[in-house]
Amino acid sequence: MPPFSGRLPSSAGLNPKRPEPSIVTLNVGGQLFQTTPQTLSLAGPKSLLSSLPCSSSSPSEIPFIDRDPQLFSLLLSLLRTGRLPSSSAAFDLDDLLAEARFYGLDADLLLSPLSDPSLFDPFALRRSLALPLPGRDPPSALSAAPSGSLLVAHGSKITAFDPALRRRATVLTRFPAVDSLLALSPSLAAAGATDFPGLHLLDLARAGSVAHALHWSPLPATATTSSSSSAAGATVQAIGASPDLLFGSFESCRRNASAILAFDRNTFEPVAEIGRREIYGAELDSAIPATKLSWIHGFNLLMAAGSHGGPSGLLGNIRLWDVRSGEAVWDLKESADCFADITVSDSLSSLFKVGVNSGEVFMADMRKLSAEEPWVCLGDARKAATGRKEGSGCRIESHGRQVFCSRGGEVEMWTEVLMGPSTRSREDGLNGERIMRRNMMGRAKDGGAKKITLLGFGGSRMVVARKDEQCVEVWESSAWS
Amino acid sequence: MEERDPDLNSASRTDNGRIKLNVGGKLFETTAHTLRSGGPDSLLAALSDRTAEDGEPIFIDRDPEIFSVLLSLLRSYRLPSTARRFSKQDLVEEAQYYGIEARLRSAMAPPPLVGFDAALAATIRPASDGFPTALSAGSGDGSVWIAHGGQISTYDWSLAHAGTVRTHLDQITSLRRVWPEIAGIGSLDSPGLHFYDVSSSRHVGSAHWSDPSDPRVYKARVTAIAAAAGAESSGEPVFAALECPHRENCILAVDRTTLKIVAEIGRQSGGAAKAAAAGKLVHVRERGVVFAAAVSAGAFGYSGYMRLWDPRSGEAVWETSEPGGGGRSTRFGDAFADADADVDPEGQRAPAIYKVCWKTGDVGVADMRMLGEDPWVYLEERSPGLRNAGGGRNSVLHCYKGQVFVSREGGLEVWSRIEDEEEEDEDAGISGTSYRRNFVDREEDARRGLVKRMEGGGDRLFVSREGMEGIEVWESSDLSGAISLL
Repeated sequence: MPPFSGRLPSSAGLNPKRPEPSIVTLNVGGQLFQTTPQTLSLAGPKSLLSSLPCSSSSPSEIPFIDRDPQLFSLLLSLLRTGRLPSSSAAFDLDDLLAEARFYGLDADLLLSPLSDPSLFDPFALRRSLALPLPGRDPPSALSAAPSGSLLVAHGSKITAFDPALRRRATVLTRFPAVDSLLALSPSLAAAGATDFPGLHLLDLARAGSVAHALHWSPLPATATTSSSSSAAGATVQAIGASPDLLFGSFESCRRNASAILAFDRNTFEPVAEIGRREIYGAELDSAIPATKLSWIHGFNLLMAAGSHGGPSGLLGNIRLWDVRSGEAVWDLKESADCFADITVSDSLSSLFKVGVNSGEVFMADMRKLSAEEPWVCLGDARKAATGRKEGSGCRIESHGRQVFCSRGGEVEMWTEVLMGPSTRSREDGLNGERIMRRNMMGRAKDGGAKKITLLGFGGSRMVVARKDEQCVEVWESSAWS
Repeated sequence: MEERDPDLNSASRTDNGRIKLNVGGKLFETTAHTLRSGGPDSLLAALSDRTAEDGEPIFIDRDPEIFSVLLSLLRSYRLPSTARRFSKQDLVEEAQYYGIEARLRSAMAPPPLVGFDAALAATIRPASDGFPTALSAGSGDGSVWIAHGGQISTYDWSLAHAGTVRTHLDQITSLRRVWPEIAGIGSLDSPGLHFYDVSSSRHVGSAHWSDPSDPRVYKARVTAIAAAAGAESSGEPVFAALECPHRENCILAVDRTTLKIVAEIGRQSGGAAKAAAAGKLVHVRERGVVFAAAVSAGAFGYSGYMRLWDPRSGEAVWETSEPGGGGRSTRFGDAFADADADVDPEGQRAPAIYKVCWKTGDVGVADMRMLGEDPWVYLEERSPGLRNAGGGRNSVLHCYKGQVFVSREGGLEVWSRIEDEEEEDEDAGISGTSYRRNFVDREEDARRGLVKRMEGGGDRLFVSREGMEGIEVWESSDLSGAISLL
C-alpha cells in the first residue's frame, strides 16, 4: 500500500498509546493563550506559571492573570523557543525583566542568550557600542564576567553593567582610585588599590558597602580580616581567583615585603600565604610584587608575574605556584626583553607575553617550560635588540583559543593554525612548530582611535577602554550583519 | 527595587472582582483590586464598584493605547517602555482623567540623587527674560520655581511649566517657597519682603523693616530669605535679611500665617565686612538656629562672616569671621568664598557647615554640635592627580542630601561621604578622610559658564549659570545611554 493513500490515523505523528497532551488555557489581561504544561514547566518550579492547573472544559475556570497580554506573549515565546521573538524589540529589556520577575521566571533565561560565552566568535567581533561612564575619571580597571556582566572602575567609583549592558549601579569605594578589580558574583566585586590598604569586597546591590575588608600585615606572619589596624596595611597590586579561592597580591606599605594571599571564596578567611618575599639589602628585585595573577585551570597552577623598572631597564619575574604546597614549580627571571604584559591561555596551554622592547608577542608552551629559553617569538625576534620601548603600554589577553594584543589604538588577534600531520611539509617552511598567525581586528573605519589602556573579555564580548575616553567600548560578535 | 505586586495571589482567584473594560473599542480585562490601587478617589476606582451583572464590558471613550500603558502602571508599579511613544503631557493628562496622577508621578520620578552618578537631564528655559535671578526648589517632589527679572515661573514635578506670575518687582533676587503656593520674594532694587500667591497670581502680603525710634530705618531691601522646607504647618517663621540704604541690617522673623513680623534679631551697623547683611540664610530647625553668612570679594581677596543666631534669644551663639577671625586658624588669610549649612529634616546626619576657601579651593567642614574657635576640618583629596584643582574664586557651594556640591570655574564636583571602615564613636566628629571628591559634570559642561546658583530639590539638582538662559536639571539616571558605534 503506498504511503498516505489510506486514511491516516487520527493521531498521526503521535504515539497513539500516549494520552492526548493536555492543553493549558490562560486568560492574561483579557486575551486567551493556549500552551502545554511542558512549556510552562520550563519556567522553573518556583514560577507562578508551573503551578497553574490544567484546563478543564468550562470557560469559567480558565485561570486569569491580571497582567499585560503583549508582554506575556513574548515570555511565552521565550519559553517555547528559548529565544525572544524579534517583536520584543518594541519593548525594553526592563519591561521583560520586571514581567519575568512577576511570573517568577529565572532572569537568566532572558539574559543568558544576550551574552552566551558559547556564542563568542572572535572573527565576528565588531566594535558595536560605547557605554558612557559618569564623571570625568577615565576607566582604570575592568572586569568582565563570563555571564556577560561588566564592572568598570573609574576613579574611586565602580560602575556595574548587567549582561544586557544596562547600567545597574555606580558605587563609591574608599579607594582614591581603583587599580585592580574582579567580579566574583553578580553582586560582589573585589577591588584594590596600589595606594590604599586592603582588598575590599564590595556589595554592589547595597550601594557598594564593604562586605569584607581583607588585610595583610608583614610583621606577624598572619593575615587577618578587618580587625587589624588598616593604618599600616598592605596595598593590593593584583587580584585573581580560582573556582574556590580568591588571590590577592599584597605589598607592604613600606614596599619592602610582598606576598600572595589565598582566601576562601565563601568565608573570605585566609587560607594560605604564598611567595612571601622581603627585601634584604640591595636585592631589590627579589621582592617585586605580582601585578598580574591568573589561575590556570588545566594545570591547577597560579601564574604570578610582576615587573619593576630599574636602572638597567624593566626587570620582572614570572612564577607558577602550586597553591597547595606553596611551592613555585617554575620561576623565570625576565631581563632582556621583559614582558610589558603577560597572559595565560588554558586552551592553548601556553603563556603569552608582549616584550617591552621589541613589542613582539612571545609564546611559551606550558608543556615545555623546562627548556633553556621558553619564549618563542611569534613575530620578528630581532627587534628586541633595538632597545626601544615598542611594547610599553601594550595589553595582552587570551580568550578562548585566541590571544589578543593591543598595540596603540589597534588590537591584533593571534590564532593557532591547526595543521594535520600530513600537511606539514618542509617546503612550506612549517617545521614541526606550532603555528600562530595574526590579523588586525576591526574595520578600516575603526582605525586611528586613541590608545587602548584596558582589554577584557566576558560572555560573547570584548571590552576595550581607551586613553582619556570617558566610556568603555564593547565589541560584540554577531552572526547577523 | 520596585515594590512587589501585592496582588500576586489574585491570579489564581476565581473571577469575582474581574472587570472587563472597553476603552475606545479595545477590550481589557483586569481586577477591581488593580483599578482601585490608583487611589480611592480615582475614576477607575469608581468604575470598579460598578458591578456589571450582564457581563458587558464597561465602555470608556478614551484612547486605548495610552490606557494600556496606564493599566500596566497600575498592575506593575512601573511605566512600560511603550510609554515613550507618548509625550509626558499625554501621559499626565490621561492620568489626570483617570485620577491616577499620583501613581504616574511616583513612576516617573528620577532615582535618588547621587552626585557622582548624576547627568544633565534637561534644561528649563522660561519663554522670556530667560536669565534666572533666583530659584527655589523647595518641596521634595522635584518641582522648581524660577525668578527671572520680575517674573516667577513655576515648574511642577514633571518639569512642565505650571504658570508664571508677574510681580511688581523688576529684579527678584531672593525667592523662597513659604507655602506650597506662596512665594516669599525680595529685590536688591526695591524695598520690602513680599509674598505672592503663584496659583492666583496675586500679591498677598508684605513686610517692611521699620523702627519707630530710628527714622533712618526705612526702605530696607531683602538680601536673603530662609524658609525651612516642610515646616509650613509647624508654625516656624520665615527669616529674611534686610539692609537699609545706609547699610544697617537685621534679620526679621515673619510669621507664615499672618505674614507679620514677629521678631527682629541680629541688628548690625553694616559698617564693616563682618557686620554686613547676610547673603545666605539657612534655618537649621533641628538645632533651633539660623545660619547667616556674608561674603564680599575685593581687591585683596574675600572676607566675610558666618554666624549662628538663636531666634528666641536674638543672640549669636557662634560666629567666625574671615580673614582673621579664629585666632588659631590654621588657614590664616584663606577666607571662605562660599558657605552653606547642611540640614537634614530627618535628623539622620549631624548638622554641619561647609565652606570653600577662595585661595586654595579647599573644602572645610564644621560639625555644628562641636563649634569652637577653629572647628574646621578640611576634606582631603586622596588622588594626587586632582590635588590643587584650582582655587575657590567664584565657587558656589551647596549642601543637599548629605552631599556637598561645589562649583569651580564652571566645573561641578561633589564630595560624598563614605562610611568609616572601623565603626567609630558616633560623637567622634567628622574626619577629613571620609569624603571622596568626584566630578558631576564633564569638561564640555563646564564651558557653558560659571555656576551662579545651585539648589537641590526632590531628586534633582538645579543649576543656573552666568550668561546662560534657563536652568539645568541634573538627575541620577539608571539608563546606560549606550551609543551605537556600528
